[in-house]
Amino acid sequence: MKSPYEILGVEPAASAAEIQKAFRKLAKTLHPDLNPGDKSAEEKFKELTGAYDLLGDADKRRRFDSGEIDARGAERQQRPYYREYAAADEDNPYASAAGYGDYAETDDALAELLRRAQRARANQRGEDLHYRLAIDFGDSISGAEKRLTLPDGGVLDVRIPPGLVDGQILRLKGKGAPGRGSGGPGDAFIEVEVLPDPRFSREGDDISLELPISLTEAVLGAQVRAPTPTGEVTLTVPKGSNTGTRLRLRGKGAPRREGGHGDQYVKLKIVLPKSPDPELEAFVAGWTQGRTFNPREGGAS
Amino acid sequence: MIVSKQEFLDHSGVHAQMLEFWIEQRWLIPQESPEGARFSERDIARARLIQDLKGDMGVNDEGVDVILHLIDQLHGLRGALAQVREIQRGSV
Repeated sequence: MKSPYEILGVEPAASAAEIQKAFRKLAKTLHPDLNPGDKSAEEKFKELTGAYDLLGDADKRRRFDSGEIDARGAERQQRPYYREYAAADEDNPYASAAGYGDYAETDDALAELLRRAQRARANQRGEDLHYRLAIDFGDSISGAEKRLTLPDGGVLDVRIPPGLVDGQILRLKGKGAPGRGSGGPGDAFIEVEVLPDPRFSREGDDISLELPISLTEAVLGAQVRAPTPTGEVTLTVPKGSNTGTRLRLRGKGAPRREGGHGDQYVKLKIVLPKSPDPELEAFVAGWTQGRTFNPREGGAS
Repeated sequence: MIVSKQEFLDHSGVHAQMLEFWIEQRWLIPQESPEGARFSERDIARARLIQDLKGDMGVNDEGVDVILHLIDQLHGLRGALAQVREIQRGSV
């Protein structure tokens, strides 16, 4: 009988980490369910798990090393493996044709055989179905319930999770094509397109907005209303604000995966009245400071 | 042998919450009955496989998802191959 160290292929002085690594490497090639066509796998895997039962446990390993227990005590009971049931009969709800369906679609002798085989397998999981859905930017941030009308006239209720990004694919389990017999339905995959909103741009969890303000609001400061994807908020423009001044609305960005929200940044832009204003012209003409200030010179802003 | 959810939990040592997650992920597809979910021997053996993967073999949930998907394809393919063999035998 091989010693558990020989079975795992490690030195008797191997560390616990080396033993675990050796076990995992061997388990991949010996687990009967990962090698359903290998008849000898079961016996070898039993040997392997027996060895690992002893050496993977520090206390048992110590007792084995000191001769207190021997390798026989670690032998495992015979157990049924999934592969025996997966192969046994035809109403396996788990079996999928996704791995060879393309071969059945061509037009040669093998494809014909596969098609006959497929028909013979009465119970098959339904196909996965793929859809596209366009949503507003606001809905992508706050989340929403959407109803998708399907080509066949049916509808699908889709929950848009808050903070969804453009191109994200949502999976609705069991909402694909119905299966045959006891094969369950497939899944629906929905690729969501987020329609851009000209006011907002998104970078990661943060949202940016350019907000026009008047000269008066910039010079004297003001309370103004600013849009966010989830509704308007009141924003304080500080006295002496400038074009390019960035204000932060904490927590008004997209939800973060790990909890909390990003921020919304509001970039101010001073906008003069559309038509020339004689009063403003008269004031600026008499404003001496305004003539000496040159914003194109370094450090002027 | 078909067992109830409680018998399945007792027999497998799987945590109830864990089982809910497995079913939600469609790793296990028990039969629905008026008395609740029913588990077949196939489901029990499949649960053992999931336990092997997540336990000693150190596979995380994403890995289990991928492995089960590939195993299901493999068995689909093996089933098709077995059927093809049957057809060949019958026609020869």
